[in-house]
Amino acid sequence: MDVSQYLEIFLDETNEHLTNLNTRIMELESDPENMDTINEIFRAAHSLKGMAGTMGYKRMQNLTHDMENVFSEVRNGVIKVNSEIIDVLFQCLDALEEYKDNIQGSADEGTNDNEPIIKMLNSILNGSGAAAPAKEAADKEAAPSVQETVSNKWDHVMLDDSQVNVIREAQKQGKKVYGLNVMVQESCILKAARAFLVFKAVEEQGEIIVSDPSAQDVEDEKFDRDFTLIIFSDAELDDIIKASEAVSEIDKVIGAELDLSNNKNVHIPAEEEEAPAEEESGEEESATAVAAPESAPAAAPAAKAEPKKQTPAKPVVNRTVRVDIEKLDSLMNLVSELIIAKNSLVSVSSQEQTDVNSAFNEQIEYLESVTTNLHESVMKVRMVPIESVVTKFPRMIRDLSKKLDKKMELYMTGEETELDRTVVDQIGDPLMHLLRNSADHGLEPAEVRIQRGKPAVGSIFLDAYQEGNTVVIEVRDDGNGIDVEAVKQKAIDRGTITVEQAANMTDKEIIDLLFLPSFSTAKKVTDVSGRGVGLDVVKSMIESLSGEVEVKSKLGEGSTWTIRLPLTLAIIQALMVVVGEEKYAISLGSIQTLEDVPASDVKLVQNKEVIHLRGTVIPLIRLNEVLDVERKPTDDENLIVVIVKKGDRLAGLVIDELIGQQEIVIKSLGKYIKQCKFISGATILGDGEIALILDANTLI
Amino acid sequence: MELSINSNQSILEEEKNRSVSEPIQFIVVRLGEEQYGIDIRNIDNIVKMQRITHVPKLPAYLKGVINMRGEVIPVLSIRLKMGLADDEITKATRILIVKLEEEGNVGFIVDEVKEVVTLYETDIERISSDITQDRGSLINAVGKHNGELISIFDLAAISLEEN
Repeated sequence: MDVSQYLEIFLDETNEHLTNLNTRIMELESDPENMDTINEIFRAAHSLKGMAGTMGYKRMQNLTHDMENVFSEVRNGVIKVNSEIIDVLFQCLDALEEYKDNIQGSADEGTNDNEPIIKMLNSILNGSGAAAPAKEAADKEAAPSVQETVSNKWDHVMLDDSQVNVIREAQKQGKKVYGLNVMVQESCILKAARAFLVFKAVEEQGEIIVSDPSAQDVEDEKFDRDFTLIIFSDAELDDIIKASEAVSEIDKVIGAELDLSNNKNVHIPAEEEEAPAEEESGEEESATAVAAPESAPAAAPAAKAEPKKQTPAKPVVNRTVRVDIEKLDSLMNLVSELIIAKNSLVSVSSQEQTDVNSAFNEQIEYLESVTTNLHESVMKVRMVPIESVVTKFPRMIRDLSKKLDKKMELYMTGEETELDRTVVDQIGDPLMHLLRNSADHGLEPAEVRIQRGKPAVGSIFLDAYQEGNTVVIEVRDDGNGIDVEAVKQKAIDRGTITVEQAANMTDKEIIDLLFLPSFSTAKKVTDVSGRGVGLDVVKSMIESLSGEVEVKSKLGEGSTWTIRLPLTLAIIQALMVVVGEEKYAISLGSIQTLEDVPASDVKLVQNKEVIHLRGTVIPLIRLNEVLDVERKPTDDENLIVVIVKKGDRLAGLVIDELIGQQEIVIKSLGKYIKQCKFISGATILGDGEIALILDANTLI
Repeated sequence: MELSINSNQSILEEEKNRSVSEPIQFIVVRLGEEQYGIDIRNIDNIVKMQRITHVPKLPAYLKGVINMRGEVIPVLSIRLKMGLADDEITKATRILIVKLEEEGNVGFIVDEVKEVVTLYETDIERISSDITQDRGSLINAVGKHNGELISIFDLAAISLEEN
């Protein structure tokens, strides 16, 4: 069968399972007895195996199979988890990751059999002595309970008169009529395809009289995990079962010769049989819930409401749809258009200042609130928790801890903080750089830490939270902090700055030198960090996401790296201003205050204009000069100054006129115009005019 | 040998026939006293002159951006680009929205849009590169229509131009 169309789903889900496994195995290491964790791991490994098998990735399947065996032993209490096993398991995950990467690149899993890992897994299994029998016992234990729950499903199938006649006729002719119940594996993602193969296999041996759910429903995947067939055939039951079970991802096929007298649905008027059927299906539900503890018990009563559906309850979780990000983008574009249209209505209504249109204004206000809500909803759809990115970090820190021979712990909070999907996809690498940086450069070796009176185990913190319109991600460590003098010396040695410059620079300015390309203070180059590529890459990646990064550090106490990212990339709240004849938008996120400053308050410091505001000296930037526009001649003595901030730096932008706050849609200036760096895009105003968006960050 | 010549001739014959049967339509615009043509298939729209939002730090011929049905489109002055005097905005001034392959839509300011003419390949004369040098490499052919000459823009040259 051609499975290429499922490749994307496969990759997606493999990713999910691998992340899940990574997290759970970490948990398992700290809490080896936790049955929930072990079950969860077992399930994830099992699903992985099933999926790899379906897609025909044999090596991947083999590896997960052996892995699953180990988990199964752990679950049965035969093997006790120790750090050695955990190490091997992590190696497995890495190998699986490698398969996944290969498949992603070339749709082929590659040729690495990973035999050493499989051997290690087997030796763990063999080390546990009674491994194999125990597993079989477990299997057998599970089997009868399943058998019981579904054994006589075919006796519950609704048969109409003509079908009963067909069955009787067949029996008269000496053919055997069987009831079959086919269970599909829980992990199976192509149920319809599997079912189809079973149908085909059965039809080779006989003829299907009835299928429950109907063949059409089965084809449309309208069944849970099992379906029931009534067939007649000349062949032996065992052969039919064998043929059906040969289809991959089929969990179990059970069957028996059909005895019509057992079927309570035959010759009973429809209304009367309703009640008993409901009772039975209820019993079945509870039986299934016992056999498979993972299907939420809460689902059972829900299923009772649909008595005719005699399938195990489906846990009512995760009502989600996977949507192509492009579709969301186009939806987002439409919302943007709508907001522009709304803005133009607003501007038309404000021009016509008559009382007659108060109803009109009311409607516009209503429209405004609807579009705002619509925008928010679409934004929310695009938001994903940063969890998907950060869950791999505990594992990374654990590996680093071993590699660097330093003891360290990672504490994370705010994994549920949400960001735009495009941002989340790209934030992983910068964060990884920062964490590695903290682990390698930040934290001191244990001896030094003890000497300094710190706990021997170093701590790294990753905190994420939302702050107004931005999301803040902090990477913090309690290590050595940044040695400003060392950075200064290094910069002088490298000729980045002169001795005189160095003398005039603040500590903060010197620390900022770290973000320059090829600047590394590590005395020792390791393969973890310290090649001098990193911080500058971090900075440029964050800035490409319209974010910013800054660092605070105290020598001997540790450093904090703070990343600030905008919640959304497409629509922002902005302050509209006028400079000369043109209108400009400044993102509200970077604005601190608006000030009315008398022209006489402007002072010159080092030949640059500054103002003194509540104890701070703030440099002034005359926007008309930067933007090459003529200032409007005014006789007003006062300057209107927009105070913008970048990190803790402030600057005052001198503008001609304020318009007010507005929600704007960011548009690109197109490829033909190479943007100058302080214009981050353009937006279309309500009257159809274009205003450029100023990027205050680059002006400061 | 003879056969190949024959077939060559028939190809030429065919070529001629086809070009006769597939005329190209050009939008004729006026810049100063001269007429220029642009292949109509590359034109997205023609709009009246409107306020152009100035974008700082750009070469003089890039006048700024306008809003075309929600899209931000750069506008350039063909006059400045060709080294002529700056545009004089009159009632006849129009912006031609031209589709460029790489960069998307771009607006050209022209003094006037005159008409649509149909030219056959036989009416069009490709001109050699040394003449095109003088015109700032924007023209690659001249068409003849009713005894008048129409210079035809080479859009590839405009789009390739670094700015």
